[in-house]
Amino acid sequence: MSDVTIPATPRPAPRRIDGGTIAIAALLALILLVPLLVGDDFVFHVFITICLYGALATAWNIVGGFAGQLSLGHAIFYGIGAYTAALLVPLGISPWIGMLGGAAVSALVGVGIGLPCFRLRGPFFALATIAFLQVIRLLALHFTGLTGGAVGLMVPLQTGWQWMIFFERWPSLLIAFGLLALTLAVAGYIRHSRFGYYLVATREREPAAAAAGVNTLRIRLAAVAVSAALTSMVGTFHGMYLTFIEPEAMFSLAFSVQIAMFALIGGIGTVFGPLFGTLLVVPLTELARGWLGASALGLHGFVYGTVLVLIVLFLPDGLAGLFRRKATTEASDVEASAPAATAPAEARPARREMGEPILVAEHLNKRFGGLAVTTDVSFSLRQGEVLGIIGPNGAGKTTLFNQISGFLAPQSGVVRVRLAEGGFVTPHSPHGFARAGVGRTFQIVQPFAAMTVLENIMIGAFHRHPGRAEAREKALETAARMGLWAQREVEARSLTIGGLKRLEIARVMAMEPRILLLDEVMAGLNQTDVQRAIRLIEQIRDDGVSVIAIEHVMQAIMALSDRVIVLNSGRVIAEGLPQDVVRDPTVIEAYLGKDFAHAHPA
Amino acid sequence: MLTLHDVQAGYGRTTILHGIHVEVRAGEVVTIVGANGAGKTTTLRTVAGLVRPTAGRITFEGEEIGHLPPHEVVARGITLIPEGRQLFPFMSVRDNLRMGAYTPHARDRMRQTMDEVLDLFPRVREKLEQHAGSLSGGEQQMVAIARGMMARPKLLMFDEPSLGLAPIIVSQVFDVVERIVQTGVTVLLVEQNVFRTLSIADRGYVLENGAIVMNDSGAALLRDDHVRRAYLGI
Amino acid sequence: MDTFVQLVINGLMLGGLFAIISVGLTLIFGIIRLVNFAHGELLMVGMYLTWLGTTQLGLHPYVLAPPVVLALFVVGLLIQRFILQPLLDARDAHVQIFATVGLSTALINLALLVFGADLYATPSSGVRDSIALGPYRILVGQLVMFVCGIAVVAALHLFMERSYLGRAIRATAQHRAAAQLMGVDVKRIYMVTFGIGAACVGLAAVLVAPIYPASPTVGTYFVLTAFVVVVLGGMGSLHGAFIGALIIGLVDSLSGFYIAPDLKEVVIFGLFITILLLRPTGLFGLGRGSE
Repeated sequence: MSDVTIPATPRPAPRRIDGGTIAIAALLALILLVPLLVGDDFVFHVFITICLYGALATAWNIVGGFAGQLSLGHAIFYGIGAYTAALLVPLGISPWIGMLGGAAVSALVGVGIGLPCFRLRGPFFALATIAFLQVIRLLALHFTGLTGGAVGLMVPLQTGWQWMIFFERWPSLLIAFGLLALTLAVAGYIRHSRFGYYLVATREREPAAAAAGVNTLRIRLAAVAVSAALTSMVGTFHGMYLTFIEPEAMFSLAFSVQIAMFALIGGIGTVFGPLFGTLLVVPLTELARGWLGASALGLHGFVYGTVLVLIVLFLPDGLAGLFRRKATTEASDVEASAPAATAPAEARPARREMGEPILVAEHLNKRFGGLAVTTDVSFSLRQGEVLGIIGPNGAGKTTLFNQISGFLAPQSGVVRVRLAEGGFVTPHSPHGFARAGVGRTFQIVQPFAAMTVLENIMIGAFHRHPGRAEAREKALETAARMGLWAQREVEARSLTIGGLKRLEIARVMAMEPRILLLDEVMAGLNQTDVQRAIRLIEQIRDDGVSVIAIEHVMQAIMALSDRVIVLNSGRVIAEGLPQDVVRDPTVIEAYLGKDFAHAHPA
Repeated sequence: MLTLHDVQAGYGRTTILHGIHVEVRAGEVVTIVGANGAGKTTTLRTVAGLVRPTAGRITFEGEEIGHLPPHEVVARGITLIPEGRQLFPFMSVRDNLRMGAYTPHARDRMRQTMDEVLDLFPRVREKLEQHAGSLSGGEQQMVAIARGMMARPKLLMFDEPSLGLAPIIVSQVFDVVERIVQTGVTVLLVEQNVFRTLSIADRGYVLENGAIVMNDSGAALLRDDHVRRAYLGI
Repeated sequence: MDTFVQLVINGLMLGGLFAIISVGLTLIFGIIRLVNFAHGELLMVGMYLTWLGTTQLGLHPYVLAPPVVLALFVVGLLIQRFILQPLLDARDAHVQIFATVGLSTALINLALLVFGADLYATPSSGVRDSIALGPYRILVGQLVMFVCGIAVVAALHLFMERSYLGRAIRATAQHRAAAQLMGVDVKRIYMVTFGIGAACVGLAAVLVAPIYPASPTVGTYFVLTAFVVVVLGGMGSLHGAFIGALIIGLVDSLSGFYIAPDLKEVVIFGLFITILLLRPTGLFGLGRGSE
């Protein structure tokens, strides 16, 4: 598509009420009104079920979709909610209080499970959650004194709002609808806040998210806490609604899977997808039950499972994917007309005064197994300096970068970063380095592939601008500056390699770092792009950012570096002015080769 | 022998190759020169069937092969020695070489080929029983080349055989490539070490941003101003 | 002491069963990198097939081994071809999990629709007779399972190490792209692998059916334990699965007696969580747990 319109100035898209919003509001109104108007008990039951399952799937989606951690143990929280309230009612405590108590317990349990398990990926995380669910179910069965064991627990039949049990159907529908609205509101808020962006970024590329200053473990734990608490609240109400609970039903693996399935069918990672999924399969199941007769045991599960397989095969983005008609513009290489075009800094200013050291690495040692990757590496970067790092492949350049950005801990040695307000700190995690003002790029570009270019940059911008609007503003400005204006609304995955490299820098620059670590940003660029990148880095430097650049493109190293360090086999073998370093016989031997030496006679 | 006619290819929605023409004649050593990301590796992967061309024709010995899956391409006599060695790390070197002769055509003559190949790589013979993953980078590259030879290919494609190796090993790798060329195999070579590559190539193509911008004999390209500036840093 | 020895024997025999079920699971994971959440349901399908064959055709369960194994091989092949293969290059690595989870749910409930929730006991045909070994007793069927467990693991091991196809399967697991470059048809390898994994479960179904009754959720029961076995032994390792199966068999048998029958699974799952967290590569694994 070529009809990419470029406005004169970047401005946030006007907040418009589109068809989608109206449709969803209408849908929610229908869910509430249809049973009230029809008044039939069965219809009430179906719609209460829809509200509850929709709420559960929406809550699950916060962990399973936004955070991308496939939990198959969510019935743990559902059961905890039901049991907490049911056990408190005989003590005269209202289930409304039990609901909050259960939510608190569930949030704690969720964090307790998540803390060790979030290291596990994909199927292994799923297996661990299944194991936790089984353990809790078996314990609930075992400790009959508390839970009543396999016999189950009858909730004392006290009716009225205080006890959450009613003779009529409509108050139950109201509560169920309220829970659905609450979970949707929470999920919607999360998805469109910094928290949600961080979750998705962490799901897509954990290292890149960490480099953008995200404490990836903490936000995942926050997600599981919120999700567990909401699930638990639904569990409390459902227990009261059923008035009978037993471990096999409350801590059921099949039920856990079912919750996840609704979300998967609807489209994980979207706010309303899980509700769509519920709305498709619950009525479908009820209809099928009508055709086949009420005795059709197992019918609902068969429908759910089959629909899920079909969805996975034919609609990988779920039902919500049908509604999302995002313009899938081909990445055009048109990048003209950025509003604030980069002014070519032709005349290079006279060699600038270097300030105080701003990043100091002392005696860094790192071994992988028996292999020494960095050996006693020390250097310092001064304020306003561009420091080039060169060396053959496998010399330990990227490993060094990982140590000065918190991705790897050196076995010995220390990295100190000077804060803006003065005083050195030694951060120990990627987000710690980010907070200290260090931004980095990755040699192998790490775009958040499913996000748009603008959203990618926003992940960086959130670091200093927690509000979505301000982050968006900052990201738009950065996109313009980095020559990504024309592509700001396309998905990052469709950028060319040059575009991805620029996006990598743009995301970091949106963090407004004081120290910028660039890992081979020139690799794979053609001459024009290399020239452009050089100007860009010059401009960044002139804005007061200190830069360390790993680079093979000698032309860029020679043009940009104030000082060059040469690394070979994990050791610093030379350091000095660029023009001196390239004449150093050791460097020619180890890295540049004789061809280079012949071409650059001293 | 091999002809790429107006070939376009890419990954997902990203197009990497924008209609390239490349020709390799029997017995030739042809090289493709270009910056990282220009599309050199994609070219080789497209010929090997790992990437499906979105437009254009690839013919090998008169047969259209652009639509064939990788194992069919190998069966036709084209072998790619991939970037980064890609050995089977938990298998012995011997089993790696056996895997090289997986196609029925090669399997029949495996013993004979194994002897011939090991004569070319005496160092590999010493390591036959070791796990491939336990070898050094240089040794692994030698095994990868030997494994490629095991298929008795008509056309051997090298993707960055010297990548990530110490300069002294790079020189050994080039010696091996030259020896293979002498056995009469047709070679298509992609290398970042442009100087050395152009020196042994009969012909070379210069690939920039997915398009062929030059095409000449190796010696002529070595003398060319643009090549010298862009790829030799001169 | 006698009790202890009897418990150890029981545990090892149980381990033999776990080994046959787990070996297919670990094979599929090791080669295709897929955690097959529908593995237990393949067992369940095999057990119903065995029940049908014995009760409708009046055959001895063991006679049914060849047809059931073959049937499961074909089912596995078809699942890989038509459900999993289209997802091979999916953007989200999770979709293959979703597919097997969906398949599992669909199969369980299909069984529920067709057979109801009742237990279907395959006639034991002498398999439940016990033989005396001094003061100890072993069920014939358990002994057969144990022997078959060893035989299956040994046969698979030989197949993988010695045959061209086996070597190609291992090569595909170690480096899919490189295997393609050697001329290996990776899709075919995956189909065969899934088929073999399912066939193993088919054998397990024939052996287990005369001892445990079939029900829609019988697969869930066994396969959760099989997951523990496979993670303990190391995902993808055949001999790891065998040793893991024996260990879990022993844990099951001993903790059921010395702790409490209804808490033995708590012990097993507790062990599972501990391994996942402390040593996700298992005892002999390829190490993908926390990657």
